[in-house]
Amino acid sequence: MLSNNKNLKMERREVIKNIALMVGGSISLPTLMAMKLHESGLSNSLDFTLSASQRKLLAEVAEIIIPRTDTPGAIDAGVPAFIEMMLKDCYTLPEHQSFLEGLDALNSKDFLNKNMADKISILTAVEQESKALMKAYNVKQTKMGDNEDKELMNAQKKGLPFWRLIKELTLLGYFTSKVGVNASFEFVLVPGRFELVKLKPGQKMFAY
Amino acid sequence: MNINIKFEDQHTYDAIVIGSGMTGGIAAKELTEKGLKVLIIERGKEVEHVKDYDTAFKAPWEIQHRDKVPVHSAEELWANNRFVGLAQDDKAHFMTNDKQNPYIEKKPFDWIRAYHTGGKSMHWGRHSYRWNKQDFEANAKDGIGVDWPIRYEDIAPWYSHVEKFVGVNGQKNNLDVLPDGDFLPPMLMLEPERYFVDKVQKTLNRPVIIGRTANLSRAQPWHTALGRATCQYRNKCSRGCPYGAYYSSLSGAIPAAKLTKRLSILHDSIVTEIIYDEAGGKAKGVRTINQHTLQTTEYYAKVIFVNAGSMNSAALLLNSTSKRFPNGLGNDSDQVGRNIMDHHLGVGANATIEGFEDDFMYGQRPNSLYIPRFRNWGADKQNNYIRGFGYQGGASRADWKRGIAADGFGAAFKKEMTKVGSWSIGFGGFGEVLPNPNNRMYLDTTQKDKWGIPLIVFDASFGDNEIAMRKDMANAAAEMLDAAGFKNITKNNRQDVHLGLGIHEMGTARMGRDPKTSVLNKFNQVHDCKNVFVTDGAAMASSSCVNPSLTYMALTARAANHAVEELKKRSI
Repeated sequence: MLSNNKNLKMERREVIKNIALMVGGSISLPTLMAMKLHESGLSNSLDFTLSASQRKLLAEVAEIIIPRTDTPGAIDAGVPAFIEMMLKDCYTLPEHQSFLEGLDALNSKDFLNKNMADKISILTAVEQESKALMKAYNVKQTKMGDNEDKELMNAQKKGLPFWRLIKELTLLGYFTSKVGVNASFEFVLVPGRFELVKLKPGQKMFAY
Repeated sequence: MNINIKFEDQHTYDAIVIGSGMTGGIAAKELTEKGLKVLIIERGKEVEHVKDYDTAFKAPWEIQHRDKVPVHSAEELWANNRFVGLAQDDKAHFMTNDKQNPYIEKKPFDWIRAYHTGGKSMHWGRHSYRWNKQDFEANAKDGIGVDWPIRYEDIAPWYSHVEKFVGVNGQKNNLDVLPDGDFLPPMLMLEPERYFVDKVQKTLNRPVIIGRTANLSRAQPWHTALGRATCQYRNKCSRGCPYGAYYSSLSGAIPAAKLTKRLSILHDSIVTEIIYDEAGGKAKGVRTINQHTLQTTEYYAKVIFVNAGSMNSAALLLNSTSKRFPNGLGNDSDQVGRNIMDHHLGVGANATIEGFEDDFMYGQRPNSLYIPRFRNWGADKQNNYIRGFGYQGGASRADWKRGIAADGFGAAFKKEMTKVGSWSIGFGGFGEVLPNPNNRMYLDTTQKDKWGIPLIVFDASFGDNEIAMRKDMANAAAEMLDAAGFKNITKNNRQDVHLGLGIHEMGTARMGRDPKTSVLNKFNQVHDCKNVFVTDGAAMASSSCVNPSLTYMALTARAANHAVEELKKRSI
């Protein structure tokens, strides 16, 4: 049983390597590390998991995006764990690679040991680089018939940029969490009616 | 011998309805209310109205992956996932597992399926529009496909019948292009939408109206009698409505049929074949296989309604071969499986709206604006395509999602995201697709599913008329947004859309006057096998550009009425 399991893991590693070769030609160090972590049995993730230091870094960035103020912040709302779960469940190798490389790049700048002003200027630069990438990827919103949005972009070897991933997932995780919704919006489970109203100054958005 | 007679007795009904979705529900309701003992055979699992809508009241944080699709679901629901939203956690469990129910794409076909009680009537967009007079005359006028064997006047009373029963909200607009119906009170337009309506009327002389949807804006006594209540404006219809406020087979037709005590429903049973009685010259029943136990059984009836969903209804006819019908039941014309139509979508335009900062809304409207067809209508004449399209869409105010692509983070950014954002507006078109005999589906000769039923092969694509129309659909939407003075107009015309994505797939067993060129007569009866009625989208001879379910339901009620009349006369 044990040896079977090992074989399976070996096979999966080969498969991931092959996919990486097909899409990118090379496989990043973080991805290899993630695979190693997985194979050592530390995670039941198929092909994505974070180390303790990566988790620390992710939490720090998420908390800078949505900090605790007079209302709870990203960490209070459980966003870091949400992001890791979402990356594992809803994204594939290109995004995993992009995300891990993004964390790696911050690490190489010794991000965690910088003061807040430096951290903010590093992330501001990352945001601008990411914007240029998104433009190059030709990301477009389109409307479906029933007014549904769909995002289209050119196929990318590396997937969405790190910043786009962490920012979207931080906002999604926070503004749909129980803590975040109750702190930010007026939550209405059953409106019971539809009416036109005038906005009052400082009025919160409704969440449904 | 005795045992056999007993078996046949227990398995014999006045009518069998194959499928419990949009049209199967109506067929069962009409037939039971007229006194027939009816068996619905549903291939999928049982979904109990209200009780099984397990995500209906979930808060955002109770939906694990929110609006993202897990990789696992994307793989299992590889076809459903082509339509935004269907593979999301809050509804994926209602959609058909495409991996376990494979089909073959000789050309890409976006086949959306929901195998369970109520079928896609649980998931539909609910927009409900009558066809106009010209829609029924267009094929004859253009020399395309076959002429409809009916005209608007034939179906008009059945539109009223169905509108009243399902409950359609709307405004009477007195437009030839979009006939008025029997409406519940209309839903409200938003302030910038009213402004848009006014501008487009003044500058382009083009009506923009509030959508007409099958949501109870004010429940009537016959709705509440079935346990249905007025809309609560949650706009979470697609999870199933615990109030029964939008129409589905589950909330409306099946409860109505059950009240008669003449309805039986069989779940998990796939009809593999309609049994043709060579001596009697008509169908005598159906053969089924249980999707779990694989046990096969037969059921018998005087009348069989085929409401399996347009593509599956055609596949069932093709799979029902006999001496009399070697190419499939009712397929003398070789038209079964051909002329696949749909409405092409994923094309339109968006813009931003300045002003209206103080205007907001409470509640979520399960409806939109509707822009009725204006192309090739009245004085308008396009040189590079025929027929036309309508748009759905409307205005909205940005929420926190605007922050994803915007610059910024930190305390001030976080605070800003809790506020109401600016207005934007967008429209997506629904375009008429022409019938083309080369756009077809057929049964594969070698590959079968796990129940031994041949896999469906799709070989269909958009033609020049649709492609030319799409360009105009994007341009004309942009032109209207410009006429209203809106800014940052962006056109879109998705190229990853195939037939099927409109989820209005239809046409594979068309009605017509001539058995040589059509499959069904003017009462949806199979030519030369008159006790078999096909009343779902398969029956359509052309597609119009309006959402089709109301027309399917009206045709079904009309056909059911005819079936009962014929039974009384003993002529079928």
